[in-house]
Amino acid sequence: MPRRNDIHKILVLGSGPIVIGQACEFDYSGTQACRALVGEGYEVVLVNSNPATIMTDPQTATRTYVEPITADSVERIIERERPDALLPNMGGQTALNCAVELDRRGALEHHGIEVIGCDIDSIQIGEDRERFAQAMRDIGLKVAEARIAHTLQEAQAAAAQIGLPVVVRPSFTLGGAGGGMARTANDLDRIAAQGLELSPVGEVLVEQSLEGWKEIEMEVMRDAFGNGIVVCSIENLDPMGVHTGDSITVAPCQTLCDVELQRLRDYSLAVLDRVGVACGGSNVQFAVNPANGDVVVIEMNPRVSRSSALASKATGFPIAKEAALLAVGYTLDEITNDITRATPACFEPSIDYVVVKVPRFAFEKFHGTSEILTTRMKSVGEAMAIGRTFEEALQKAVRSLEDGHVGLWDQEATLADGERLAELVARPTSHRLFHVAEALRRDWTVEQLHELSGIDPWFLFRIRDIVIAEKTIATAGLEGLDAPHLLAAKQMGFSDARIAELCDQREDVVRAIRKVLGVHPVVKTVDTCAGEFAARTSYHYLTYEAGSATEHRSAERPRVLILSAGPNRIGQGIEFDYCCVHAAYALHDEGFETVMLNCNPETVSTDYDTSDRLYFEPLTFEDVMAVIEVEQPAGVIVTLGGQTPINLAGRLKEEGVPIMGTQPEAIDLAEDRGRFSRLLDEMGIAYPASSVAQTQEEAVRAARLVGYPLLVRPSYVLGGRGMGIVYNDEELAAYMEQATHVTPDHPIYLDAFLEDAVELDVDALCDGSQVYVGAILEHIEECGIHSGDSACCFPPFSLSARIANRVRATTRRLALTCNICGLLNVQYAIKDEQVYVIELNPRASRTVPFDSKASGVPLAKAAARIMAGRTLDELDLPPEDREFDYFAVKEAVMPWTRFPGADTTLGPEMKSTGEVMGLDRTFPLAYAKTREAIDYHIPLEGTVFVSVNDRDKRSIGPVALALFTMGYDIVATTGTAQVLRAAGIPCQRINMVSEPHPNIADAIEQGRIALMINTPGGHRSRGDGFRIRTMAVNHGIDLVTAMSGATALIQAIAALRAGSLEPYALQDLQP
Amino acid sequence: MNLLVNEARPPALLALEDGTTFAGWSAGAAGEAFGEVVFNTSMTGYQEILSDPSYAGQIVTLTYPQVGNYGICQDDFQASRLHLRGLVVRDMCHTPSNWRATASLPELLRKRRVVAIEGVDTRALTLRIRGGGAMRAAISTTDLDAKSLVARVQQSPGISDHNHVADVSCGIARTEPAQGKAKWRVVAYDCGIKRGILDNLTARGCEVHVVPWNTPARDVLALDPTGVFFSNGPGDPGQVWATVEAAREILGKKPVFGICLGNQVITLAAGGRIEKLPFGHHGGNEPVANLLTRRVEITAQNHNFGTVFPSLGPIVPQESGGFDKHEQDLRIWFRRGVVPVVRNPQWGRIQLTHVNLNDGTPEGMRFLDIPAFCCQYHPEAKPGPSDAAYFFDSFAQLMEEHDGREPHAQAQ
Repeated sequence: MPRRNDIHKILVLGSGPIVIGQACEFDYSGTQACRALVGEGYEVVLVNSNPATIMTDPQTATRTYVEPITADSVERIIERERPDALLPNMGGQTALNCAVELDRRGALEHHGIEVIGCDIDSIQIGEDRERFAQAMRDIGLKVAEARIAHTLQEAQAAAAQIGLPVVVRPSFTLGGAGGGMARTANDLDRIAAQGLELSPVGEVLVEQSLEGWKEIEMEVMRDAFGNGIVVCSIENLDPMGVHTGDSITVAPCQTLCDVELQRLRDYSLAVLDRVGVACGGSNVQFAVNPANGDVVVIEMNPRVSRSSALASKATGFPIAKEAALLAVGYTLDEITNDITRATPACFEPSIDYVVVKVPRFAFEKFHGTSEILTTRMKSVGEAMAIGRTFEEALQKAVRSLEDGHVGLWDQEATLADGERLAELVARPTSHRLFHVAEALRRDWTVEQLHELSGIDPWFLFRIRDIVIAEKTIATAGLEGLDAPHLLAAKQMGFSDARIAELCDQREDVVRAIRKVLGVHPVVKTVDTCAGEFAARTSYHYLTYEAGSATEHRSAERPRVLILSAGPNRIGQGIEFDYCCVHAAYALHDEGFETVMLNCNPETVSTDYDTSDRLYFEPLTFEDVMAVIEVEQPAGVIVTLGGQTPINLAGRLKEEGVPIMGTQPEAIDLAEDRGRFSRLLDEMGIAYPASSVAQTQEEAVRAARLVGYPLLVRPSYVLGGRGMGIVYNDEELAAYMEQATHVTPDHPIYLDAFLEDAVELDVDALCDGSQVYVGAILEHIEECGIHSGDSACCFPPFSLSARIANRVRATTRRLALTCNICGLLNVQYAIKDEQVYVIELNPRASRTVPFDSKASGVPLAKAAARIMAGRTLDELDLPPEDREFDYFAVKEAVMPWTRFPGADTTLGPEMKSTGEVMGLDRTFPLAYAKTREAIDYHIPLEGTVFVSVNDRDKRSIGPVALALFTMGYDIVATTGTAQVLRAAGIPCQRINMVSEPHPNIADAIEQGRIALMINTPGGHRSRGDGFRIRTMAVNHGIDLVTAMSGATALIQAIAALRAGSLEPYALQDLQP
Repeated sequence: MNLLVNEARPPALLALEDGTTFAGWSAGAAGEAFGEVVFNTSMTGYQEILSDPSYAGQIVTLTYPQVGNYGICQDDFQASRLHLRGLVVRDMCHTPSNWRATASLPELLRKRRVVAIEGVDTRALTLRIRGGGAMRAAISTTDLDAKSLVARVQQSPGISDHNHVADVSCGIARTEPAQGKAKWRVVAYDCGIKRGILDNLTARGCEVHVVPWNTPARDVLALDPTGVFFSNGPGDPGQVWATVEAAREILGKKPVFGICLGNQVITLAAGGRIEKLPFGHHGGNEPVANLLTRRVEITAQNHNFGTVFPSLGPIVPQESGGFDKHEQDLRIWFRRGVVPVVRNPQWGRIQLTHVNLNDGTPEGMRFLDIPAFCCQYHPEAKPGPSDAAYFFDSFAQLMEEHDGREPHAQAQ
């Protein structure tokens, strides 16, 4: 069936901000979909509140709305754009939920919009576990025994019938949010209560536990004619019980024989058929009993997913793009395979390598939360590696995580005694792999470990082989490894650094000897067909093979290598991938052959057609050098991928690698606090007083010198890891104890903390002789809250032109003095009309994509051109100080609900996972949009709970007064209530949680509180404040923890009450 | 298995006719194996591939790099013996894991005396075969001298020089009982028949009389079967003249179904021509268009030879959408939405029913004037997807329609 000509305008929904369970894989799929549809001549209207995405580039869709993905907001856009069709299956659960809600309201019918790609009923069957279970029984498939519960009592009854342990899954939540495994009656009460709370329909499923069963996923495509293919099978190394997003996963499936796998294939196609997936990509998950092959269907997602992004990267088969084409009428046989360009898309990819994905966690940022992995996803990112064996891919994946592991060895694991180790092996955590390796090192048997962990013996045998090989290497020593043995080590995925560790040598010695012995990697190609047909695209990986057969093709044009950002983590995510993708586009246009290097399967940068060549490799020195040696690039770009490539820049330069743009010397200058402070002194630029300390005593002395409050942090950090604000000696001592434990080799910086200062983020371009300040962003939260967690506004909403000019001038001087070539980011604090420099980052910052969307100037592209030799004059950018008739606000999205037990206050350590943008004619309206986009319900009436710390008691008055005049009832704790009454603001006193009932906890439970303003007292307080903030998160109550945020929120409320929000298309803003 | 894990394996060498050699380690029996080297892109199903008699005379390279992961299961053998000459893998698993497994793959290979090599860059080898076509090769654990082994490969006989079917066919006839009540008696010419085919036939109520490849037609007709089946098998169809002769006599008299080599036998019996494909189809992911339903099937394939569709007769324009010319690339018929029909001088009209979407070669055909049809790929899968299992139902239906009647007269 050919392209449909009866539809012309298609509405595509994105997935909104990056949150745990829904990350940049949906930018990848959405971008593919928009491009495919625009390429087919359709008008595409896109809605996505996430400005850091490639899909929201004004060039990707025809009409781009960076607006909330809520039914209200999307309906306003529908009214304006009048699309013929809605494609809801590219934007994850957010888009599906929005589509379901639009349908429920009758908005789709009212506006005559056809849902394409999947239908509402199939979404509902896929999501409603009872209907799904019935559908599966209809086609003779088993599902886990389960009962629906709407109350805690029902949940208890269900568990009694099924028998513990049971899995509790709330209906309609992201990534299984709120679910968990209950082994005891206490577990059940806790998890079920939380699940009922989190489920938008107040429903949980109590389900038979399939602990220890294999978890297998099938990525399936189907066209409207009924043709179906399985793109990829994925096996989870961790057995059932761990969310697939938190599992180490392997493609293709390793431990099922053909009979078993074909059965799953047949089932998958039957599931799609029964659920009624009209066409598109879906994911079907199975549990397979390792003892007898019994199969149970776990779930199906009638949309592209994180797994389908992984499957696309693992096989080279562009699932999202093809799903979009299928949605507009094509059948699988009518679409050509991009990679072979000779075969149709209706074949099943065959791969001749092994793919391993490992999740990356951020527990270190959420003290107090349990690190045990459950059916509820907690990882913040992932790395994927390709190897010719599982062993190789696993070791590559582990070092891709950039969390300090160069192989399967972790010091902490070595410290555990036998009993403790058995516990650690039995419990799924982010470190279990290392504990398993440690146990094998202690000669525990595979049987023993299988018994403890449930991990399939095949995986354990492979890890055991790695451990055996480690012993062989260590015994032989570096001098004992001849070329065949060194090759064998590399074939198993051992990094030079790991071999060095095992042989007690330096990495560069291993590297030198390896080169002398002629052990080099070869280039292989990801081609969807295991070599059966010639590949036309250059999607590569490196591996080691006997012989020197390489598939590297020489290029006609000079090559430039772009180092991207690796796995998503808090502080380094999609924003940097965005910059790298833009560089690839810009440099391709500049006549280069672009080479991308990254290991993050969720990204657009790892799409094989983003750059001319793609290497899916870890971002370690060794792996980066291997690609450089193969490609011989004319230049390497290190300043767009966040801290990861920055950290490599110096070593690359030492190896004689040509670095494009800002040189490592300049990077060192900016990152070395001492040198940078001296430079600021020389230039006469103010900065907060600061000092350095290596010991507790030094720190106390420094504190005397600089004065409290102090901002303390370890050197060389990104995302403010390990940062804190201390107000007195006691807090400083507590901090030093913890912080030095985190980073023993680095000193601690102590900076004067400028309380109540206004913070600015400035992103600028420098070509060596001229500077262009692309954006000045004014933070809404005051100094002391990490810039990544703070909301900010473009253009500044309260900054005078005089200060703005001073900031520009200072930025200019700094950029030129530091020899920046490309992008730089400077953070300023403004206090008492004084401009202080907080820090300078000689690279693209997290805010570059937001700046580009808000200002219309593609800064990353411009930076890439400058690095390629262009001057600012040639780029012809609009004037810096032009006027804007709108405001764009960026607000951070916090993962609190994923980490119960961790405190929810904002501080100098970044904790947000993503961001949204709101754009409107005033700052309050734009800010209100960000709240809607994050799904915070802004209460326009009701009771506000106010409890602020002593520092904020002075400023709470005006805020409370405004709330009162807008008609809110105010309740406050004793101290705050006193202040309010003194100011003549009526309020009711309420008891704190630690005080007798009835207290604030009861009020929250009874649903009487609409909004909470609570600013925390002490550092890492575990008291009352912590408890009520946690309750707010659990009950979905809008919570403000900083006075500046409270002020902004009140302005937003006032604006919302005055009138509704109007959508803005980016295309209408462009100059 | 990696060298750092096991130092004890003997070395082995793989040599190709074009002079390329690959050094590795023995992963099966010691000794030497000469044969035609081919590759298979299935990611699972190594046991079914190894035991498929169609690989007689061949050295099979598995493109999936880690082989043997789930061991060997007694139920998955496609024949009682292993007929392939040798096996080439990148990494052999000696410690498998699966509840069905009773042995490891290297154990099986040693026990069944099959020579295998691991440690080979199988992707480089595959690309070489893709470029140079299937070629003669040898694996040796005794002659590790590259020059010597290459020279001996170059002197070895080609696959077409030998009748491999005679080697793999059953020596004497036997009967496979129907599963459940026997509805039909089917005679199956065993040119190397796979267990999966027999299972599919018996599951549909066929009592199957398996007969040697060269059984004369009169002996078969004397059994008065409801239908006759021509099986898959190894090598060059030009070698199985006796089976072709029998097919010529049976066509038109009894409902006939053929798979793979059986498809080629029926082509030859209809006076058609067979060609050798550049490197054949060997894998579990080949897309085939069913021209009748317009659905696409993902199929398991294993053949080096194929029917030249135009050689079966001139196009019948009235029944081919008005088109009167043959097409080199048969995918054109699928795009046109036309099911072409040729007029065969001997058997009347033959319809092209299936086309390979990767290369436009014929994959299945149906005789319109006599009860017979055949396909080039493996509807029984084993290993591979089971999308095309309906072929066996079609055969049952064809027998149902013609049971007890004189099919030839009926078709007229």
